[in-house]
Amino acid sequence: MKFEFRTFSRFQKLIFSGAVGLAFCINLGAQDSYNFHEILTASSPSTSRSKEWKPGDGVALEVSGMAWMGDGKLAVATRKGDIWIIDGVLSDKPDDVKFSLFASGLHEPLGLTKEGDDLLTTQRSEVTRLRDKDGDGVADGYLTEADGWNVSGAYHAYAYGPELDEAGEYWVTLNLDMGPHTNNHNGWRGWGGTIGKDGKFQPQSFGMRSPSGMGANAAGDLFFSDQQGTWIPATPIYHLRKGVFYGNQESAKGQEIEGSPMKIEMPKANVPYPQALRSSKEFVPPAVWLPYNKVGRSGTDVQLIDADGKFGPFDGQLLIGEFTNAGVNRVFLEKVGGEYQGACFPFLSGFPAAVLRLEFSDDGPLFVGMTNRGWSSLGNRSYGLVRVDYDPKVPPFAIQEMRAKSDGFELKFTQPVDRETVLAAGAFELENYTYQYSQKYGGDEIQKQILKIELPVVSNDGLTVRLKVDGLREFYVHELRTKGIKSASGGKSLDSPTAYYTLNQIPPK
Amino acid sequence: MNHPCSIEKPFRTYPISSLNIPCWFVGLLFVSGFLKAEPHVVGYERFDDGAVLYSELGCANCHGGSAVEVPRKGPNLAALSLRVRKEWVADFLKDPENGRKGSTMPHMFDGIPEAERETAITDVMAWLGTRPTKLKIRAQRHTNAEAGSAMYHEKGCGACHAATPDFISPHGKLEKFENAISHPDFRKKTDVKGLAYFLGNISTFRPDGRMPHIQLLPEEASDIAAHLWDDQASVPDTKFDVRTWTKADFDAIKRGGEWVNKLNCASCHDGLSEQKAALIKPISSGAGGGCLSDEPAEGRPFYDLSEKQRKSLVAFLKSEKQTSDDDGKLTLAAMNCYACHERDGIGGPVVETNSFFIGDEGLGDSGRLAPPLTGVGHKLKLEWIESVFSGTEGSRVRDYVKTQMPKYPAQAKKMAAWLSKIDSNPDATPIAKVEDLEAGQKLLGIHGGVNCITCHRWEERASLGIQAMDISNLDQRLQPSWFREYLLNPASYRPGTLMPPLWPGGKSMVPDVAGGDAETQIGAIWNFIKNGEGVPEGFPDRASGAFELIPKDRPIIQRTFLNKVGTKAILVGFPGEVNIAIDGASGQPALVWKGKFFDGYDTFFTRAAPFGDPLEEEVFEFEKSTAPMRFRGYELDEKGNPTFLRSEDGLEVSERFSGEDGKLVRTIRWAEGGAEPAKPIHPVGVEFETKATDRAITFTYFSK
Repeated sequence: MKFEFRTFSRFQKLIFSGAVGLAFCINLGAQDSYNFHEILTASSPSTSRSKEWKPGDGVALEVSGMAWMGDGKLAVATRKGDIWIIDGVLSDKPDDVKFSLFASGLHEPLGLTKEGDDLLTTQRSEVTRLRDKDGDGVADGYLTEADGWNVSGAYHAYAYGPELDEAGEYWVTLNLDMGPHTNNHNGWRGWGGTIGKDGKFQPQSFGMRSPSGMGANAAGDLFFSDQQGTWIPATPIYHLRKGVFYGNQESAKGQEIEGSPMKIEMPKANVPYPQALRSSKEFVPPAVWLPYNKVGRSGTDVQLIDADGKFGPFDGQLLIGEFTNAGVNRVFLEKVGGEYQGACFPFLSGFPAAVLRLEFSDDGPLFVGMTNRGWSSLGNRSYGLVRVDYDPKVPPFAIQEMRAKSDGFELKFTQPVDRETVLAAGAFELENYTYQYSQKYGGDEIQKQILKIELPVVSNDGLTVRLKVDGLREFYVHELRTKGIKSASGGKSLDSPTAYYTLNQIPPK
Repeated sequence: MNHPCSIEKPFRTYPISSLNIPCWFVGLLFVSGFLKAEPHVVGYERFDDGAVLYSELGCANCHGGSAVEVPRKGPNLAALSLRVRKEWVADFLKDPENGRKGSTMPHMFDGIPEAERETAITDVMAWLGTRPTKLKIRAQRHTNAEAGSAMYHEKGCGACHAATPDFISPHGKLEKFENAISHPDFRKKTDVKGLAYFLGNISTFRPDGRMPHIQLLPEEASDIAAHLWDDQASVPDTKFDVRTWTKADFDAIKRGGEWVNKLNCASCHDGLSEQKAALIKPISSGAGGGCLSDEPAEGRPFYDLSEKQRKSLVAFLKSEKQTSDDDGKLTLAAMNCYACHERDGIGGPVVETNSFFIGDEGLGDSGRLAPPLTGVGHKLKLEWIESVFSGTEGSRVRDYVKTQMPKYPAQAKKMAAWLSKIDSNPDATPIAKVEDLEAGQKLLGIHGGVNCITCHRWEERASLGIQAMDISNLDQRLQPSWFREYLLNPASYRPGTLMPPLWPGGKSMVPDVAGGDAETQIGAIWNFIKNGEGVPEGFPDRASGAFELIPKDRPIIQRTFLNKVGTKAILVGFPGEVNIAIDGASGQPALVWKGKFFDGYDTFFTRAAPFGDPLEEEVFEFEKSTAPMRFRGYELDEKGNPTFLRSEDGLEVSERFSGEDGKLVRTIRWAEGGAEPAKPIHPVGVEFETKATDRAITFTYFSK
């Protein structure tokens, strides 16, 4: 049962006309420095008169999980329930790309991790260990690694993972139910948890809505994204850990179930977020908010950049997949007062379909797995896999880091800045705002305030700019808008003129 | 976004401070205020507008002078004696507050000297008992209070009335809804069938639409009645029947009729067939004469107004007549349309009611909230607005919003005309006229179009993703110029909508259709919706059988949601047309059938995949077993035949299945040690052969 396909790879550099690219996103991000190579994109038969919708010819590569198998082979899980092993994805020759089917018949697997020679994936009802005992390249063991959460039959009951944390524990996150059959009361919808030694899901923290992506930072701490919806005003990126509450109260019933590790006093609702956060000690803020539409509309995967400069000057930072806007955003984190907080930046846009999964290869390129199905995105194809290569000949000019200071922010740039443009009037504008904490679906930015900025101070090497400001507020998003800033050599404009810092704590002096 | 907290403001204010009221008088009222039980008018409480109060206390019934479309009436009292208990009516007439907290019924008997009051009430009751009762009220044979509770809270009752105490909101704890219209004690007032009859025929008793008519089936009305009456029995018992009021003597009836005339009851209540009095000019000069007086007087309604209400009414009576442009707004407030709808930044659900609005959360707030009415007269065609008010069949397009728009036939014509007039936008850019039908068909579809059908349904066809409203008939409802504006910027009409701007900045993202021009493309979409035949490109052809799973050389294994098995079903189709379904919770077989296996389309590609079924009618179910078992996965042999693994109370048990020439071969094995596995279960109605060896047993089904 081994299939090989040769004809489906269509290496083709995507060409974005200016109009289309601009239309996709307010900020194009660092597009110039990165090239997109299509490995497989859903066929879009624009001349076809076919009335029959099919998932396109060939492999329906609705990417839902990726893991490296060694020797440059990429295992890709699909929402349909297959796991393909794709060889030749790093090659520039289209004919080198080969597909072979490793496993099939799974129930919408939404994660993939390699452990030893096995693959672990989370299906709707369980974490499954896929094992190739006879070594013929096809799985012959579909072993239940862990289960123990309710599966009602509601379509929205997606299960994600597993993802390994620094302590060596695997985590699984569970969506809230929605639609027919919904039952968020029987455990553990809206919870994240670890896999116990007994093969049972161990609930650890709750308040999630649609936690579709997890990933570790360089220190091994796990982060996950959630998506705008009830109780959640915009895409948050949270530090995943035990014993905390992430805000969505629809999962609160789980606390009454036997085995719940938590019983907390729920935070005050229908008040601004900072007030709600202060009303419950377990309620934690996101490390970073991705403001709605300005950065993204629905965050997905979390992937650490750890490429020794082979993916540009952003090592140690996180990339966040973006479903609706078919893009990738960048997150810089720092620890203040023992907790993570930081900034997000629009990064890549213009993918042909909604981005669900991200995976770096050891050699530097980023693999972007896509699937639109169920929702829509700015991409006009249904699914596919794109490789993103960094072009070192065109280094990005970007705000590399944005750090909080007791009296403002410090910006680090990837290239020296043109001093005059930085010191020009109106080069920086800073505004802060928060959201209402309520069960409403999404939410506006509220309590907006423009902050006064003193004359910026540029470091001697031109790489750092210090902003002293009046009016910092804890737990508020601080939106930095730049205007006219150029690089010292070449007069390049910033790839993304905006940055968004979530200031949960103001650092001490 | 719809922030209820930020839009709570009155839309018209009066200079109350200009009233000259002695402070001792205010002080006196303050003290007496503690004893008051003022009438409760939702629209007034929310918007603080005397015009709303004037309308909703029914003032215009005697005095005229309200711009609200269709005056506020009392209920039609026809067949009262069949529906409402006599004792409750007597109590209510004595003090309306006894019958229902916040009732707007004035105290009609308080002005009658105390010695005569009791007799007057008894006489009026005697007369009411003689009213003709042609109605035949039948009880439903079964009621379901639990289903009634779900309907009561889903259909929108909670937008005006509060949740009933037993209600658990799917969104967590509800805040107390102070501005709710209270219920009477239903057990004191009526019985289940009387209440059900009222709920099923609301417009008969409340033609003014204040309790609006909701289209309910008789059984739905009964279920809601059972819920409100808190009748948990499934059969409504006749023992709770409202008994026909006992006959009174002729003199009492005669005196009662005289009272009814004298008190002018027919001004507000239909069903009394008494002559109405001529309109009386209201006294507008003073701070509290006539009906506004703080003291009851004979022959005049006494309202027990709060000082704030009195001031508002006086201010209203003194005010200039508003422009007619405001009439419709006033009606929206008086009818409490703002409980559900927002218009021009006013109204919409409040924090306390927001969680009653439920629907398809996959569509965001648009999937559960009533649509905003801002600019609705520009959005919708006049006839369509009228049909929505009238509740014409087919006028409900958001079936995913659980809240049901009630019928307002009495207001329909005038309100539709008002909205169309006040919102009309003759300067709006017209939609481009496009003849090309193919372009529109392509653009609506997913093969190189703008993917409308990813989210929107088309006639009876489900969309490919989230199930937003049917767009095949938009031309019957929408004005084309509004459609153009909306497509260019959806969020301008409904902030927070999931509908993306498909022509951001007015630029097309599909360069190769209709010249890549946004205006032409939008015109082409409109043209196809209006004049096209067929469906947009990209709907699946389910009849093709393209996703039927047909095992040829090896078994096919597929997990899915399956009817009769559950959410953890694992299907195995063997070559030779024999198939099984394993319950992945226990690892035990659940179904077996011969013939065609399964169609994978829904499992593979449908967003909200339904529970599937085998492709054959004749399916044999296995016996049920309650033995504790835990599924541990499965392994495949070189031919792809599965061995299912499970743990039975610590004992490792495996079951291997294979299909051989139409026979199903099943071998159960278990680990060494003393323990034996649970007694094997078999498909009911299927014969089999058994062969046992050491720690293994083999069954062959369909062997003959």
